Amino acid sequence: MEKDLDKVVDEIMATPNVSGCLVADHQGLCLAAKGTAHVDSAGIIVAISEQACKIQPNLKPPTVCLEADKKLCLIQRHGTITGAIYKQKTEMKF
Amino acid sequence: MEKIPDQTGYLILTEDGAVLESAGELENDERIATIIIDLISLSNTVDPLAFGPNEKFKKISITYDDHWYAICISNKKIYVVKRSISPAAAEGNAIAV
Repeated sequence: MEKDLDKVVDEIMATPNVSGCLVADHQGLCLAAKGTAHVDSAGIIVAISEQACKIQPNLKPPTVCLEADKKLCLIQRHGTITGAIYKQKTEMKF
Repeated sequence: MEKIPDQTGYLILTEDGAVLESAGELENDERIATIIIDLISLSNTVDPLAFGPNEKFKKISITYDDHWYAICISNKKIYVVKRSISPAAAEGNAIAV
C-alpha cells in the first residue's frame, strides 16, 4: 500500500547531500522516515509547518528551512501531508 | 536593517516576543511576532538524533512564491526580515539549496 510513498522517499534519499527524509500526516503521525530523520520528530515537524502557515494563511504553505552550521532541514506542506528533508550543507558557490 | 537589499519590512524582538523595532510591512506586527516566537521554540526540539546538542539552528527561512522571511538570533534579540524575491534571485536560491 505504501509502495509509492517508499519509492518517493528512496528517490529523495538518492539525491546528493540528503541525509534523512520524513513524511507525516496532518495529525503529526509519521508515514515514512529514512536516514537520520527520527520517527519521533514527525509531530514537531508538522507543528512547525502549521505554525509557518499561520503567518500568511491565505497563501499556499511556505517552505521552511532550518539551518544549523553544517546541516539543514527543509519542511514543506502539501495538502494534509508534510515532508521534511535533512541535508548536509554544501559549500556555497556564487 | 533598512539597507538590506529587497527588504520590505523588518522586526526586532526580545526573546519573549516584545517588539523592539519594526518597519515596513511588519510594522508593529505583533501577530507575526507571536507566531515566530512559537516557531523558534518548536525548532529547538527538532530531532536530537539528526541534529546533536551542539548543532543549534542558526537561521530559519520561510519561503513563499514571491517573498521570504529570514529569522536569526543575535545578542538575545530576534531579527526578522521580510524580503521579496526577484526572478533572478529565485534562481540563485534554488541553486544554493
